[in-house]
Amino acid sequence: MSLTTTPPANSFWDKHGWASVSTLVGFLLWEITARFFVTSKLFLAAPSQIIAAFIPLWASGELPKHLSTSAMEFVLGYFFAALLGVVIGFFMASFKASKQILQPWVSGLYATPTVALAPLFILWFGVGIFSKVVVIILLVVFPVIINTETGLRQTPHSLIETVKSFGANRRQIFFKVELPSALPFIFAGLRLGIGRGLIGVVVAELFGARSGLGLFIQQSAETFNMPALFAGVLILAFTGIGLTTCFIWIEKNVTPWGQE
Amino acid sequence: MMSSNFKLSAHQVCKSFGELEALKDIDIHVKAGEFISIVGPSGCGKTTFLRIVGGLESSSSGSITLNGHLVTQPGLDRGFVFQQDNLLPWRTILSNTEIGLEIAGKITPEQREKTLSLLELVGLKGFENYYPRQLSGGMRQRVNLARALAINPDLLLMDEPFSALDAQTREIMQTELLRIWNEGKKTVLFVTHQIDEAVLLSDKVLVFARRPGRLQEIVEINLPRPRTLSMKRQPEFMKIVDHIWSLIEFDVRASVLEEAA
Repeated sequence: MSLTTTPPANSFWDKHGWASVSTLVGFLLWEITARFFVTSKLFLAAPSQIIAAFIPLWASGELPKHLSTSAMEFVLGYFFAALLGVVIGFFMASFKASKQILQPWVSGLYATPTVALAPLFILWFGVGIFSKVVVIILLVVFPVIINTETGLRQTPHSLIETVKSFGANRRQIFFKVELPSALPFIFAGLRLGIGRGLIGVVVAELFGARSGLGLFIQQSAETFNMPALFAGVLILAFTGIGLTTCFIWIEKNVTPWGQE
Repeated sequence: MMSSNFKLSAHQVCKSFGELEALKDIDIHVKAGEFISIVGPSGCGKTTFLRIVGGLESSSSGSITLNGHLVTQPGLDRGFVFQQDNLLPWRTILSNTEIGLEIAGKITPEQREKTLSLLELVGLKGFENYYPRQLSGGMRQRVNLARALAINPDLLLMDEPFSALDAQTREIMQTELLRIWNEGKKTVLFVTHQIDEAVLLSDKVLVFARRPGRLQEIVEINLPRPRTLSMKRQPEFMKIVDHIWSLIEFDVRASVLEEAA
């Protein structure tokens, strides 16, 4: 066996080569389409025009203002949803009565497109950030509940019995076996929650807000300012990608036993 | 009662699952340092008996005493080696081995030293920081054994620990177990399907029968120690194996036919 001909494993090209090409080609096609085919600025903005619009919007402090409002809403909503989701999921997995009491509501509300309730929450809780936080919690909490419950339930019985054989009590069984065993499931639920939470931010703001990316996108649409609209959308897209990537990284480091 | 001479005693232990009599009137007395195997056909209740001794299941009637104390629940005086290795995938080998001590709140620097030398004894030196998925089946069973030994139990309970291994690994593990047992001379209760395994390892083989699950015969194994794999081909060894097989053959055939039906 010769080792000299082996290409370097895990080079940038191996990992990200085609993804980079596909992204670059996509943006290039977009640029060409906007410049030569759909030339009306009312319909489409080219990437170069978006960047040109983005710089002054950022420098003037307008975009940072909207971004910080949305970020605050997202962080608060996501944090409470994660906390609530894990706690409720734990109760549903651990106690039969709480499972029976909560199950119809969890299943029902998870299946309902709760964003449709956003206008109602604006009416109830006002145009401030509180109404948005509630919408985000409603969107994020259910996948977390469901995954936490499933993860805890799927703990292999043989592992529980093993620690029982050493005299483990209920609390030790939970912290030493059930919780670590459920962690990959809980993380998957939290990861699903990122995308849903971002949707919640934008949709809730569309129905009434003082600031925020959703409001900014809506105002840009009303004035047919396509470059600004796309700038707002792209910020959301990159935030989503960035958060998910961070999340996968955290997941890898918190649950290192699962990877190859 | 004369049970004080014995490490472990079972008195009239019965267990039924609904109509099924899994165990009927089991009386067993084990001396300190004895290596006892239980063999028998599927459904003879040998694993159920081991689980009752381990406190993982309760008997329907009768009692078990260990060091004169009644056994009702799991405890650190018994180390259970499971059929599947049951290692916690998120814990390293060292951390898996220490779980019993951790549950008991007994992790100290001296204990850590003991656990490390125990891992060396079972042949896992250098693998302390590996995760279970990085180890072969045979190595994982060594961790399973080390985990049970780490709490320094009075009694080691082994439930077909080598049955998931391939034939060659299995034979190696048998000699390894003899070597490790020889270091500490623990009292061992070892459940297996494999007669030659039971004969090679044990001082006594308890032959169980089925329907109802009961103790049929106690076979004393007077082969000299230390024992080696080559003894399996000696005439005396094969005679004992043949005798045990003749005791259970009828039951085994019956259980095989039942499973096929």
